[in-house]
Amino acid sequence: MATNVLICDDSSFARKQMARAIPLGWEVEIHFASDGLEGLEAIRQGKGEVVFLDLTMPNLDGYGVLEHIRREDLPAMVVVVSGDIQPDAQARVMNLGAMAFIKKPIDSAKTEAVLTEYGIMTKA
Amino acid sequence: MTTQIPLVTLSDDQRDCYQELTNVAMGQAADRLARLLDHYVVLPIPRVNLIEISDLRMAIEGARDGDAISAVCQGFIGNGIAGEALLLFNDTSYTDLARLAQYPAKLTHQDQLEMLMDISSLLIGACIQGIGEQLEIHFNQGHPVILGQHCDLKDILNVSHQKWRRTLAIEIHYTMEAVNVNCDLLLLFTEDSVQRLNKKIDYLLD
Repeated sequence: MATNVLICDDSSFARKQMARAIPLGWEVEIHFASDGLEGLEAIRQGKGEVVFLDLTMPNLDGYGVLEHIRREDLPAMVVVVSGDIQPDAQARVMNLGAMAFIKKPIDSAKTEAVLTEYGIMTKA
Repeated sequence: MTTQIPLVTLSDDQRDCYQELTNVAMGQAADRLARLLDHYVVLPIPRVNLIEISDLRMAIEGARDGDAISAVCQGFIGNGIAGEALLLFNDTSYTDLARLAQYPAKLTHQDQLEMLMDISSLLIGACIQGIGEQLEIHFNQGHPVILGQHCDLKDILNVSHQKWRRTLAIEIHYTMEAVNVNCDLLLLFTEDSVQRLNKKIDYLLD
């Protein structure tokens, strides 16, 4: 069965880049959200078994999304994809329960490496 | 007959793309600053606008008329794209910045100058190169020039940037967590550069 993948980023360009970076051969259904609130709603609806989450977003930022996921105990494996590459930002998101951190700009090699390392991706 | 340069335009998709490229570049700059000062830098959403140079003052978020500021500008050029980076540093930031950078409590004029140059070369360099890398442009940077120390925003803007009418401005308002350090980084591109830059952006969007 296809994995529900959610791409949550306020930039449409970044969402497109992320979608392109999803490795070929991984059976997925891709969903999109343009801010944290939309993203959270999609996760509640089961559209985010795997979530690629940006940090700097209006309305609810990536940190807020992670807090909600934890508080509501939502079934989501979160990979943070961010341009905020400060050591502090990475430590904070890992503390909040993110599985991995990918530095922007995104590409398919980085994505595949992380997905494989953490056993997130199951190839058909 | 004078040749008319067509007015530059900016679509929503192009703006979004500039914002995202800037987001990545300023993240790299913030990372370097955070490591230097061992302190978290707050990253805002960058603002990208086409502005009339006469409206530049209104476009600047952090520094306000009446605030004492220090300013540095640095030109950059590469692949037929040229512009100027302008760093506006709020003078109230010196005290906390000095503490983070482990300068003595009593700052000399020379100390302040050194800090200003360090911060501006770090932030400007990382941002320009970060944007350049993503667009596959190698930017050469000119020498940084101090536009003024401890002066008013309107005086700074009067002496600089008389060259262009309408241009692309990218503004990043940097602040640091829990301390009073704030500055604005403005990237201003020449009018004819914007056309070329937009083409590169369209290629990415394709």
